[in-house]
Amino acid sequence: MASAPGKGGLRRTLRSCEYGCQFVAHDSPVHRLSAGMKLGIGMLLSASAAGGRTPATLGALVLVTLCYYLAARLTLADLWRDIRLFMFQAALVIPLYCLVHGPAKGLWPGIRISTQIILFYLPGAVFLRTTRSSEVMRGLRRVLPYRVSFLVFVSVRFVPFFFREIADITAAQRLRGARLLPRQKLNPRNWPDLFNCLILPLMVRALKTADEVARSAESRGFGMYPERTFFSADQLIRRAGDTGTAQQGEPSAPTIRTAASNSTVSS
Amino acid sequence: MNDLLLDIDRLSYRYPGAAQPALNEICCTVSAGECICLTGHSGCGKSTLLSAVMGLLRGGRLSGRVSIARGMGAGSGSCPAGMVFQNAESQLICTSVAEEVAFGPENLCVPPEEIGPRVLEALAAVGMEDHLGRNPERFSAGQKQRVAIASVLAMQPKLLLLDEPTSQLDAVGKAELAGILTRLKRLGYTLIIAEHDPRPFAGLIDRYLMLELGSLIAEQKSAPGVEYFRNRRTEPVACCWAAAGSSLEVAGIELAYPETGTVLNGVSLTVPRGERLHLFGHNGAGKSTLLRCLSGLERPDRGEVMLCGLKNPQPEQLPGKVGVLFQNPARQLFGETVREEVAFTLQRLGLTRPEWELRVAEALEICRIAHLVERAPLTLSFGEQHRVALAAVLAPRPELLLLDEPFAGLDFPQRLALLDILGELPGRLGTTVLIVSHDELPDPRWADRSLILSGGALGERSW
Repeated sequence: MASAPGKGGLRRTLRSCEYGCQFVAHDSPVHRLSAGMKLGIGMLLSASAAGGRTPATLGALVLVTLCYYLAARLTLADLWRDIRLFMFQAALVIPLYCLVHGPAKGLWPGIRISTQIILFYLPGAVFLRTTRSSEVMRGLRRVLPYRVSFLVFVSVRFVPFFFREIADITAAQRLRGARLLPRQKLNPRNWPDLFNCLILPLMVRALKTADEVARSAESRGFGMYPERTFFSADQLIRRAGDTGTAQQGEPSAPTIRTAASNSTVSS
Repeated sequence: MNDLLLDIDRLSYRYPGAAQPALNEICCTVSAGECICLTGHSGCGKSTLLSAVMGLLRGGRLSGRVSIARGMGAGSGSCPAGMVFQNAESQLICTSVAEEVAFGPENLCVPPEEIGPRVLEALAAVGMEDHLGRNPERFSAGQKQRVAIASVLAMQPKLLLLDEPTSQLDAVGKAELAGILTRLKRLGYTLIIAEHDPRPFAGLIDRYLMLELGSLIAEQKSAPGVEYFRNRRTEPVACCWAAAGSSLEVAGIELAYPETGTVLNGVSLTVPRGERLHLFGHNGAGKSTLLRCLSGLERPDRGEVMLCGLKNPQPEQLPGKVGVLFQNPARQLFGETVREEVAFTLQRLGLTRPEWELRVAEALEICRIAHLVERAPLTLSFGEQHRVALAAVLAPRPELLLLDEPFAGLDFPQRLALLDILGELPGRLGTTVLIVSHDELPDPRWADRSLILSGGALGERSW
């Protein structure tokens, strides 16, 4: 379906039916790097962001991180989806610094802290968007026991899910009168709403989801044996010539094959 | 067909801290190749029984015996039973379809060279073999359900358990799923489907096991209570209540997402005050997007929304005037008691305690949950939580009530009860009610008007 041209252009560009940090199944130089390499680059960039103090250092880091992000063939709209929560946090932090230290002394530290937080987090977003789950599991398995590596993997994997939950809970609560807009959060009297109306339901959803994921994994044999095998899905995907880049729309009608092709699944 | 596959003998289970057992002396057998439907109202123990068969119950008190025959063809790289959970979304862990389907065989230590053919076979069985590299997160509910089934089939189970598989699906999705299950049955799979509305699978079910309060109360070959779903209700529906003016006016709204293109394409709608309106549409038709536009959460690219006299309102302007109930009530519950939960918006509107206590009592009485007033919302059943969430949006006596998929997760009696509550609102509170759903209404007489959203445009439904 084609987009309607004209009005609402910027709003439409920034609008999304997707959420931050979702894996993007296309090819790029960053996609082709190994999970370990991406972790290494990410740690280096994040550590540099934590240590950067001067405007020149941070400016250079912004450029390098942005290049890394764009090398993954991610767009500026993707970038906005990934960092918009941190922009709201910046809208809170910078005025608070100005309030406490005065505009002259507080502005730069506020900007610096906000930028450092975004730069610290962004390589992680690139990792999530460009790394297949099997690569992560295989990479983690080299340094962690199988069960622990699964735990770490699932915790990271569900970051986009919780971005979506945050958006949905916030929407429902704003319509009930909760004060959750960034400008409302500037007022400390509204901070209890952040905990009661957003964080508490989010924690409940997180616990429920963790329980469902654990049951699902257990029912699919997770933990049945002390070890597991690792299948390289990439080869299968490449052989099938499907890189997953096509637009995903409504479900297609199921293709029913002959029984002969599935003889092994019959008992 | 006569080989015994599953034998359940005097199975009882009580959840930790529960007063009543969730399963009570269940005895039944299932033969290889059969398709069994476990049916009964919400909370009757269907899901618990499936979990017990899978050995997934933790804590609590379990007694009795469940045995699944391994028999011929069951090797070390297979498991005797596989389960597809109600919420396919949280069942999908990996970033691509191929990895998702390979997850089970990997855990069963199947050699990597054998996993590829298994993945392809399982995906072919559900018609998803062309989506190997896609991220399941971006799939529709029906596609996610099919990947979840394939991820279980790859473990080559003989017994396939499905827990409320149609709960997120529209009519098209249900028909597709019924086709897939028919094919799996033909391939020799033994199926147990836990479903409160078994009608989509009537053609493939051999036996119905009916549960009530954890006990197996009946076993029959024919679909239980078909007349019950045919809605031969004779009770009169609350009559149409109309007042001057309109609660909602939408003029030519258009909205597009960068990822999917146009979703709403010139939607116009006028809803008179006091009308009961049903807006029907299949999964992905744009119903939720339209609701987000109406409630100010999304600003359309073109067009105007006039809601209770407010032009293109922000969500912050709506509490007290418009109530919006989203699909999953757990997303909005946080109060320590039901009273606190229902009073939240009223307190925000600045009502004094005597005023809000009256309104809370009224909303609880309308929703038939006055007895729950001191209970903690998060400890209630799904159906009760749904009512609490509804009471919370009704307490301010909104002029307009918008409901997104309000029947999801509710069984048929709960759906009818909800419809009864909603039917009273125009006469009692003067509230206009707009239901958005992919399900048909349990009682079609309820709606004063029914519209369909398709191809981004609204149209009248013809019966």
